Amino acid sequence: MSARAEPEAAAQHAEEGPSPRALTYTLIALLVLAGLSLALRFAHLGGFSFLAALLIAVIKASLVAVVFMEFLHEKPTVRFAFATGLSLFALLVVLLVADVLTRTIPPLSNPPGTAQRYHG
Amino acid sequence: MTTIDVGVVPVPHREAPSRETYLNVAYTVKSWALTTDHKRIGILYLVTTTFALLLGGVFALVLRTEHLTPDQTIIDAYTYNRMFTMHGIVMVWLFMIPSIPTAFGNFLLPMMIGAKDVAFPRLNLASYYIYVAGVVWVIVALWMGGADTGWTFYAPYSAHSPSAVVPTVFGIFILGWSTIITGVNFIVTTHTMRAKGVTWFRMPLFVWAMYGVSIIQTLATPVLAISLLIVGIDHWFDWGLFDPHRGGDPVLYQHLFWFYSHPAVYIMILPAMGVISEVVPTFSHKNPASYKAIAYSTLGIAFVGFGTWGHHMFVAGISLFDAAAFGVLSMLVAIFSAIKVFTWVLTMRRGSVAVATPMIYFFAFLFLFVFGGMTGVAVATQSLDVHWHDTYFVVAHFHFIMVGGTLTAWLAALHYWFPKITGRMYPERWGIVAGTIVFAGFFMTFFPQFLLGNGGMARRYYYYDPVYQPLHVVSTVGAWLLGAAMLLTLCYLLVACFTGPPAGANPWDSRSYEWYTPSPPPKHNFPAEPVFELDPYDYTVPFPGELKAGGEQAPQEAPHA
Amino acid sequence: MPEQVAEQFEDLEKQAHAARLGMWVFLGSEVLFFSGLFALYTGYRTEHPYGFGVGVEHNTIAWGSVNTGVLLVSSYTVAMAVHMLRRGRNTASALLLGATIFLGLVFLGIKTGEYLKHFSDGIYPGGWGHFFEEHGDPGTKMFFTLYYCMTGLHAIHVFAGMCVLSLLLWKVLRRDIGAWAPHPLAIGAVYWHLVDMIWIFLWPLFYLIPGASQS
Repeated sequence: MSARAEPEAAAQHAEEGPSPRALTYTLIALLVLAGLSLALRFAHLGGFSFLAALLIAVIKASLVAVVFMEFLHEKPTVRFAFATGLSLFALLVVLLVADVLTRTIPPLSNPPGTAQRYHG
Repeated sequence: MTTIDVGVVPVPHREAPSRETYLNVAYTVKSWALTTDHKRIGILYLVTTTFALLLGGVFALVLRTEHLTPDQTIIDAYTYNRMFTMHGIVMVWLFMIPSIPTAFGNFLLPMMIGAKDVAFPRLNLASYYIYVAGVVWVIVALWMGGADTGWTFYAPYSAHSPSAVVPTVFGIFILGWSTIITGVNFIVTTHTMRAKGVTWFRMPLFVWAMYGVSIIQTLATPVLAISLLIVGIDHWFDWGLFDPHRGGDPVLYQHLFWFYSHPAVYIMILPAMGVISEVVPTFSHKNPASYKAIAYSTLGIAFVGFGTWGHHMFVAGISLFDAAAFGVLSMLVAIFSAIKVFTWVLTMRRGSVAVATPMIYFFAFLFLFVFGGMTGVAVATQSLDVHWHDTYFVVAHFHFIMVGGTLTAWLAALHYWFPKITGRMYPERWGIVAGTIVFAGFFMTFFPQFLLGNGGMARRYYYYDPVYQPLHVVSTVGAWLLGAAMLLTLCYLLVACFTGPPAGANPWDSRSYEWYTPSPPPKHNFPAEPVFELDPYDYTVPFPGELKAGGEQAPQEAPHA
Repeated sequence: MPEQVAEQFEDLEKQAHAARLGMWVFLGSEVLFFSGLFALYTGYRTEHPYGFGVGVEHNTIAWGSVNTGVLLVSSYTVAMAVHMLRRGRNTASALLLGATIFLGLVFLGIKTGEYLKHFSDGIYPGGWGHFFEEHGDPGTKMFFTLYYCMTGLHAIHVFAGMCVLSLLLWKVLRRDIGAWAPHPLAIGAVYWHLVDMIWIFLWPLFYLIPGASQS
């Protein structure tokens, strides 16, 4: 075990990472997608606007993860760790919204005139 | 064939008198306070969490004593409300969640995988001080009067309670970061620091448990952090995030809280299961009935445990659809827990079972965990939960799991690894006596509470109907017994720290990797670079002997031969 | 002090992998830290589609969109900084890092301007302020409370990321890290990208998605 690794040997192990050209193209793609998202804001898509905006956001986030964060070059353990976090995020949102959507009683609200608040 | 030998006195080990250990390498306060040695950090945690246990235990005894009579006995109603809240907070966040992972996990995990230390030793020390900062905040909150919301901080009351909610949640918020850092550290250590020969399926099962619990710690705790932050903001600035008048929905708070706090139950019980998975093969002198069943069910509990939080909210107004989904998911966890229980029991079959204190605690654990687990399945059934919700039945159920499960496993771990940590033996007879009283006291405290709850006694009530008094008195006497047994344990263990006979490297004749090194271990865990050729549960061949400097292994006579 | 192998590791590569894994597990933790607020947003938006739409209408879309561009470009500059460091060009890397930190400052400046404008419009967190006398829908109050909570928490993360990058900038300039050990900067950059990623989702939720037309 050496106190300090040989510079040449370590440099060989260092990942090359994406080329500057790939990084630049990704930035352009991100900005174009952002522009598209902004344009859709004024397109009156009705119920689809939520889906469209989130779909574009997911594509953008994936680009950031894959190219900028080099997610796919990471070891499987790293990918598994982060993917677990994301799936638990999804679990929380899905089961929480499922509750709100499937309640047969109206959403909680104070009856009119009873909204006196207690200040302790 | 089952042999029973009570009061094993191990063969005193030929000890080189000047051997350097992690304990005698330095004696200054600074060498403890600024140590990055995972073993010393483990000891620091052990001492601090034991202090928290004492504090929470005192609260518990005062609460039980208060319930000797249906009216006021020793404390008034407001003090009672704050005390049961602080009892829950101290026991859950200061003791139970950190107890086994931080103390025994820190001490043992690197040793069990043959590493010199955890992956990030300085971060490890930082996590201890963050924990201490959290403890200090909670104690400041106590000094300011404590919170009276119950440990769940349910909105909207928690936003307007006149008690010291903000410092309390802030303390827990800090404690959460300590938990997350420890979890990250353990995950990375398990992935990157395993020695030669320690493949994934040759790790001791305690390491699997630590790995599973670290996943839950890193991924569930941040949700608690954010929900408590919101509670603090709501209380301090009155932003009304759960105020129906301003578009809020208190049930959503319960979703967030239980998304953390149900997995937190597995943060408490998985390490306990890990301890039991070590104790049973060692004292049965036999490999586990199925290594993979225990390892996979650990991960199963860790992941499925995330999908069950809604069973705490069946009567809180969640939709029938969600309640049904959560009911089914909750049943799944019971399957994984049952796999473990059956594997432990099968492990003893045809083994040569030695009755020592850790084994006494295993028997207690087995009975209490099965009892608590089965009542858990019952309360996860919606129709039954409507009757039992917020009664002493639920209180008894989770104390059977948390105290009956985690505390007995913690005591088992304390006795099982006492020789490794201190290099000395504890008095076996005292251990067995105290273990038996702990079980008796515990059962006497909480079994009557099942009957009380089923009879309609609601939890957190200060006054109660006199018909409940006889069972309350039995429960209180049981609590005193439990407290006395815990004090007895503390006393003889403290004495044994200094006067116990030397234990030798492997007093239990175990095959698990932490026993290969001398007790107490040297600063870097092993005298030489360890290479493990045997499985950690291979009892078909004699113990190859402790590792000596230079790498050769010297056989020692096995006490259980 | 140049990057050294700590005594518990065998070599620098293993140490780098451990650090990367640690950061990614921590990022998973960070995602769940935000998940609570995202879940609240989704739940409350489901309960109050109209009120949330009113909130989106009153948000300053131009400033939010400029901020999106700022953060995307800053992600690019920090990725380029990592690339340059791997090639051993410490000076270029330092310049790009400086640009990233500057863009972070610009982001926080615009954010502060937005908050001040909201305050002058009478929009305070918790449904306080004269704005809510005209727009009394509980959903609108909740929209802006969540807006302050989520963008505020994100701004704290931007600030934390800037602190991390400043520390790394110092190390790059002192040549503590370089082509022989670029991983500390690569790991710090990953954190910055996560902060960017979270904003990618905050932007449509608070500025772009219009609400239901009827109450």
